[in-house]
Amino acid sequence: MKKYKALKTNRLPFSWCPGCGINIVTMHLAKYFEDNDFTNKNTSIISGIGCSGRFAGYFNMDTMHTTHGRAIPIAEGLKLSNPKLNIVVVSGDGDLLSIGLSHLIHTARRNTNIKVICLNNSIYAMTGGQTSPSTPKNKITTTSPQGNPFKFINAYEIVCKPFNRLYARLTPLTKKLFYKALDFAFKTTNFSFIEIVFPCYENDLRRYGGKNPMNALRTFSKAYSEKGITNKLENKQLGIIKNYE
Amino acid sequence: MKILTNGSKILVKATLDAGINFFSGYPITPAAKILETFACKSIENKDLVFLQSEDEIAAIHHAIGASVGGNKSMTATSGPGFSLMQEGLGLAYATSVPLTVVNVMRQGPSTGMPTKPSQGDLLQTQYGTHGDYKIIVFYPNSITEIYEYTIKAINASEESKSPVIILLDAILANLYETIDIPKDKPNLINHKLKFGTSNRHLSGLVTDKNGVPKTNNFNVYDKWLNKKLKHITKVANKYDFYEYNKNDNNKTLIISFGSLSRLIKNRGNYDTFRPITLFPISPKLKEISKKYSKILVLEMNKGQYSFALESFLKREIKTISILGNSLNPNDILEKINEKI
Repeated sequence: MKKYKALKTNRLPFSWCPGCGINIVTMHLAKYFEDNDFTNKNTSIISGIGCSGRFAGYFNMDTMHTTHGRAIPIAEGLKLSNPKLNIVVVSGDGDLLSIGLSHLIHTARRNTNIKVICLNNSIYAMTGGQTSPSTPKNKITTTSPQGNPFKFINAYEIVCKPFNRLYARLTPLTKKLFYKALDFAFKTTNFSFIEIVFPCYENDLRRYGGKNPMNALRTFSKAYSEKGITNKLENKQLGIIKNYE
Repeated sequence: MKILTNGSKILVKATLDAGINFFSGYPITPAAKILETFACKSIENKDLVFLQSEDEIAAIHHAIGASVGGNKSMTATSGPGFSLMQEGLGLAYATSVPLTVVNVMRQGPSTGMPTKPSQGDLLQTQYGTHGDYKIIVFYPNSITEIYEYTIKAINASEESKSPVIILLDAILANLYETIDIPKDKPNLINHKLKFGTSNRHLSGLVTDKNGVPKTNNFNVYDKWLNKKLKHITKVANKYDFYEYNKNDNNKTLIISFGSLSRLIKNRGNYDTFRPITLFPISPKLKEISKKYSKILVLEMNKGQYSFALESFLKREIKTISILGNSLNPNDILEKINEKI
């Protein structure tokens, strides 16, 4: 495992399940920080609760692990109080799209210059695989044993589209696109939202007979097609919508 | 210079003199005047950041974020909003983030009697969030005192590295009085926490010194909690303020605070004790209370401070509850004389 300067190497290995996409995203971001001079003097990471909540603690900078759903308001307060800092929020779909959804929409509306990375595994993973607002319709989970009766939330439609904010949908395997999205996000002074979709192996796929987390991630990603920089993303499409000019 | 002003405006003046430069809040009567005053002040004062949050949960977390960013921050609300802020109070306590929260109390529970004065949130300041914690609470009773103790409260929060609560009530927030604002600049304490300078990791989880989660180790938790409680008690003892008036021969001590304490001031020949630092309860009260055979607490709730005092003093405390807006001094004196 490469020991990036941006990571607290004494805290490795990560506490996440082996093969989970969140491990890959952490390494991608650590490399990006190292290559682009994001250090503890100019950057801070705020994370919420759940698997993604542990994200902040691995980075070699001032970071905060907050309460459920409140990463965004803390990041916004921090940005307004200390405008020179680059603030990255890393949180899950339950955190950002359920309990913290109103904070997310209002911060996008106020256009506070924070960069939000949503690690979307479409389930509440750490609590045992319950339905989340991004769980697909009819999917069986521990809290919807007959299949989820509701339509999932499309983050682009409700957070980014109404206010013309940068939006990207990626998987942990689209490294180049992720770096491109980060480049765009840090170049603009606008609120930016990067959604990274991947499956939860332990609390979701394993129940359906999955055998290997990396294979599961590859199979999951194959269902998506890459559109690159675009102005419209359908379901199961990856790309960056750059409509803030 | 003597000026005529009200409770909300003098509170804002005091916070600015104490170095507050971030305010976030959400409209609620009777605390909205504070929000409005901050909004106006932020136009002339470019160092002051004002943010109207989407709700009270966001408001307290915005303030926590600002404090983490190296600024002195605060929020103000009233009972229903204070209930929503409990989560943030717990986080600020656990992560040692200084923060000042003003609660202009109104009659609850829930929407209650908008917006009659009340003292119904006393225990909520102590037991509102989950887990064991301690929060210093100030409750002034005049315009001059709001100015003085707001500055002290902000210093206490910076020194205890923890949230501090200033209680007001609907009467005090709207009360007009003259005040002679001291010319000398107050002594201020500033916290050292500023993100973007080091490798700290703040977490609501139980962690060791390096920010590594230790959620299976009760020794780490015990050590951390006791150290924290001890530190807050130490700071609270420095900020222990009260007013005690004694006359000889009285066998009853009357305890009251906030706007209600104004009603019995200079009326009758009572022995009175008025805590300004409401919590933690003044250790001096243990000594003082020994002289009296009876202790009467006058409060605008069903006996919250009496409840706290009973467990603190280990003796029976009598309560006179004044609810809603029934603040006729003659009625209150009659009730006192009945119980004495």
